[in-house]
Amino acid sequence: MGGRHITILSMICWSMLASAQTAAPNNLDIAVVVNEENRVNDLSMADLRKILSGEKQTWPGGQAVKLVVRAPGTHERLVLLRVLSMSENEYKQHWISQVFRGEAQTEPPVLPSNGMQKEALASFPGAIALVEARDVKSPMKVVKIDGRLPGQPGYPLH
Amino acid sequence: MLRLITTAVVITLLASILRAQDAGNTEQATIRLLVKQVKELQEKVKALEAAAKPQATDAVASAPSPPQTTPQEERVTTEEAPLALHDLHGIRWLGFGEVDYKVLDQRIPELGTFGFTPGSAGNFYTGDFDLFLTSRINDKATILSEIVFGEGPDQTFNVDLERLLLKYQYSDYLKLSFGRYHTDVGYYNAAFHSGKWLQTMADRPLIMEYASDGGLLPTQAVGVAITGLVPHTRKLGVNYEFEYGSSDTVRPDINGSNKENDENNGNHILLGAFFRPDGIPGLQIGGSFYHDQISNEDLIPPPRLNQTIVNAHIVYIAHHIEFLNEGFLIRHAEINGPTAFNMPAFYTQFSRGFGRIRPFFRFQYANTNRDSIYNDVLLRYGPSFGARYDFNGNIAFKTQLDHTIRKGEPDLNGLQFQLAFTF
Repeated sequence: MGGRHITILSMICWSMLASAQTAAPNNLDIAVVVNEENRVNDLSMADLRKILSGEKQTWPGGQAVKLVVRAPGTHERLVLLRVLSMSENEYKQHWISQVFRGEAQTEPPVLPSNGMQKEALASFPGAIALVEARDVKSPMKVVKIDGRLPGQPGYPLH
Repeated sequence: MLRLITTAVVITLLASILRAQDAGNTEQATIRLLVKQVKELQEKVKALEAAAKPQATDAVASAPSPPQTTPQEERVTTEEAPLALHDLHGIRWLGFGEVDYKVLDQRIPELGTFGFTPGSAGNFYTGDFDLFLTSRINDKATILSEIVFGEGPDQTFNVDLERLLLKYQYSDYLKLSFGRYHTDVGYYNAAFHSGKWLQTMADRPLIMEYASDGGLLPTQAVGVAITGLVPHTRKLGVNYEFEYGSSDTVRPDINGSNKENDENNGNHILLGAFFRPDGIPGLQIGGSFYHDQISNEDLIPPPRLNQTIVNAHIVYIAHHIEFLNEGFLIRHAEINGPTAFNMPAFYTQFSRGFGRIRPFFRFQYANTNRDSIYNDVLLRYGPSFGARYDFNGNIAFKTQLDHTIRKGEPDLNGLQFQLAFTF
């Protein structure tokens, strides 16, 4: 009888731990957010990579893409570097090179806080940024990546 | 015994849950306290604002009235704040510099070694000091210029306006540039320009060296360039290039003879295309076709030649790998005459980053005809290898060994150290 209790208790504990573990990655997913006026609802991973590298510079309709990024060391920045398969130095060199080639007007502004990122998103109609899903606030508009939203199975950015 | 164990486990679990709840309760209490304090502060601010209002009204009554702002105007002002904060206006400067030491195993100077003087086997030199200026006019238009202070023989310096462009980007499908530009005759020319810090290696491949430094190709021109993505090719990422302009290549011989050739180029046309497939990020495959007319001043009277340059390149830059491959065929055919020369050249360059260190390797080849205007080059080929070390995001140190096999002349070995920086 005691053995059964232990088994049941253990099962309850494990199930609680397991549910906590599955919930954690969803919170750490990185959302791709744009200005709420932006008509784009879905981006492919390839398009996102092009936007983050400065290769794609206009939205459908001709609005200029305005990429804003977080400071080095943040979770959003690490995901950005992973998407581009670059180190911090390579990323810096890449953007200097983009500007030097005349393929970009400036490097993306580096913003130290989510609050400033939110302001930038509200101010620039063509703005796009990466934000931790738990920090998404109105009026940020979350864009699907390859048809998936943060928290959904198979979402690629976390 | 089992009961005892069960009881112990239950007590332990309950204790840990209670402790967690305690911690949760403590946090909640702290949050409640903070919220309470914020509310109190808000109330105090409101009270202070209310108390200050009559005084402000009195002060305003005796002073000229400031312009009244409507809620709409206030909204615009707050929205413009981040614009002013994060959007770059005015002229932006970028600088690239280098300090080099190069030693050769011969005392006959070769061009591309800049500060060398006859009789010297090793020299310090500063190479190119590059000032890059860009100014954003609006979301679509930019002015860009690149001014290079280049080192010549005997530590003399010259100023060259490498690029001056008005760029207008209508969309990803149509980008226009007007002014002086680096031609798209090869990938390297359009990718690295004059910034040594941007290059992995200490120098450019000979075939991609600037004509003013002894390179073989027309690397600069004044005119119009149009590029963009070809519509409905998103997955293949097909881009087109078109240039029409005037280049005037004046090229010194690279054998130290101090002789210069003015090619008297006519207007050139360049058509090119490249693919950047979505499936393999970092891969670019492309090519270009360049055509103009030049003169051969070695002969009297100088015959006019049709110059055609065909380029093909495969480039892969991703996952810390840089793999550059370019091949060229330069054809000089006499107009109204039977003489024609087909001169091939290529280079392949591979490097991989391991943290701050990036070892690199390059093999290059050029083969020109003795009776062509490139009679100082002839057959040259050989490997180069070395490493680049990035101290930080601005300063890099490079070491490079070159071995060049030359037709009719002894092999040439070189060792180069370079400190390249950007600011």
